[in-house]
Amino acid sequence: MKKTRLAALAAFALAAAPVAAANWAVIGPSQSVAVAGSTMTVTPRTPWNKATHKLGPKAEAWTQDGFTLNELDFIGGVGPGEALVKERNKKDKPLPKFSASMTPPDIVQMFEATDRILLNTSLFEVDKVEPARLGGRDGFRFEYHYVVQEDEVRRKGEARAAVVGGKLYLINYNAPAIHYYDAGIDEVRAMMDGARL
Amino acid sequence: MTGRGRLAAALLAAACVSFAAAGPARAADSKPRLQALEPGAPPPWTPGYQPLDKDEKGLWMEADEAERTLKASNFVVHDEALNAYIRSVLCRTVGDDRCHAARIYVIRTPFMNASMAPNGMMQVWTGLLLRVRDEAQLAAVLGHEFGHFEHRDTLRLFRDLKSKTSAMAWLSFLPYGVGLIAQFAVIGGAFEFNRDMERDADIEGLRFMTRGGYSPRAAPTVWTQFRAEQDATAVARQQKSRKDRNGGFFATHPNSAERVQYLTHAAQGIPNPPTRFGETEYRAAMASWWAPLIDDQIKLNDFGGTEFLLQSLAGGTWTPELLYARGELYRARGAPGDFDKAAGFYRQALDLGSTLPELRRGLGLALIRAGNAEDGRKAIKDYLAMKPDAVDSKMMAMLAGGE
Repeated sequence: MKKTRLAALAAFALAAAPVAAANWAVIGPSQSVAVAGSTMTVTPRTPWNKATHKLGPKAEAWTQDGFTLNELDFIGGVGPGEALVKERNKKDKPLPKFSASMTPPDIVQMFEATDRILLNTSLFEVDKVEPARLGGRDGFRFEYHYVVQEDEVRRKGEARAAVVGGKLYLINYNAPAIHYYDAGIDEVRAMMDGARL
Repeated sequence: MTGRGRLAAALLAAACVSFAAAGPARAADSKPRLQALEPGAPPPWTPGYQPLDKDEKGLWMEADEAERTLKASNFVVHDEALNAYIRSVLCRTVGDDRCHAARIYVIRTPFMNASMAPNGMMQVWTGLLLRVRDEAQLAAVLGHEFGHFEHRDTLRLFRDLKSKTSAMAWLSFLPYGVGLIAQFAVIGGAFEFNRDMERDADIEGLRFMTRGGYSPRAAPTVWTQFRAEQDATAVARQQKSRKDRNGGFFATHPNSAERVQYLTHAAQGIPNPPTRFGETEYRAAMASWWAPLIDDQIKLNDFGGTEFLLQSLAGGTWTPELLYARGELYRARGAPGDFDKAAGFYRQALDLGSTLPELRRGLGLALIRAGNAEDGRKAIKDYLAMKPDAVDSKMMAMLAGGE
């Protein structure tokens, strides 16, 4: 089953092994922390768990209750020609690549295609795209919902992004539409609002 | 789940998802054939048919369980007209006496496949519907699947595998996927049989479709098209085509080149074959589905394969909808020159009189990326005027504002 992005990547690497990412680092509350090996910092209100198995060279993923219940991804400075997350199957399932000249709707489209490919789903819809700020920079936010096969849980997601110096910074949150999304979104939005670049 | 249950489940996933996987060409004629089942047993489409023994009961139980899950799936397409149409093609193909045994589920997934489980659960994936060009091609696939069902191939395979202890060990690792990409099915030797079964099912499908009045020439065409699409994907990705890829352990199906060859040969051997292809009927039945299914395909990031599919759908006549899709495809790739080409496709569609608001959206975004911001902003304003409540209206308004 590939319910989450990290699981999709891990499952490909480890064939039939259960969702990997056995190692975690606890992120303490109320402290500023640099994410995704970049200059982006965020300050969570409550403790989170960072998977030490990275989503990609410039991406990491956090959770509170496990990735099937809440997932917070940080993309820190993806450059031109790079994918959002690590490409595990370049040959058969290459991921779309970032370009510095992309408009916000282009980036949303790239995000959607990446998720559809990683999660093997056709049920993914963007619900809203609008201007917003990230780390004091002009950027945008978008909302979406999706379902993954064999899991069938309706999930909602929200992301905030900005292109700075030709590189993409993005914070993405998603969780089941029932209970978990609403339970986590306030803290996540506060983290997005307070992020520094 | 017990060990036995896992095996049965794996078989459902493996043997039933049985249409599209490609394996290596080989001299299969020298391989032993699977045993036929008890002579005189009623075919499984007989009204009131019940599984006959422990093995078959176990398989049915697994299939029934899988079907309960599938019924509630978000991926099942509930469009009544589409479902009724596919059923009508199946009934015409295999006959009214047989087709009642199938329960058809159209599954929203962009890959080319179909399957039928021993209990009559039939899955038709939307990726298949996007790829067949007429009713006769669809009939070839549905007939093939019904052939597996009629010959109780899953049960034959199950019995064969049960006698192989090493197979049991392997199978305990297998995932259980309904509708998912479960082609990573099983193990070398045992699946020599599967290739024979696939060949038999291909020929059975040919017989069914011919009896139903469809041109048997459509059967090999399904495969020549798919091979051409694989070539197109590979060219755009600068790779070697996967069409003749050696499936290794996972080679459950005859190579597609081999399929084209024997299906063509068999079709030519049918005296006075019917000539119906049903292209017009197929296009009409699919009319409202092209746009979403093409959208699913575009988002797979497979430029070559998608361009091939669009060209083949157009058949030389580009409708506004197909031009829009082509614009989206080129715009998504964004290679040098693609934005100008995309803008050209959107404009052609507008010239044909299309009022689709998204044409203006695509045109605007393509022009901005092509360096013509002024015209781009104008097109986006047109889009917003036509669709003020679009989900991206605030973002697009900002882009149209020029900052």
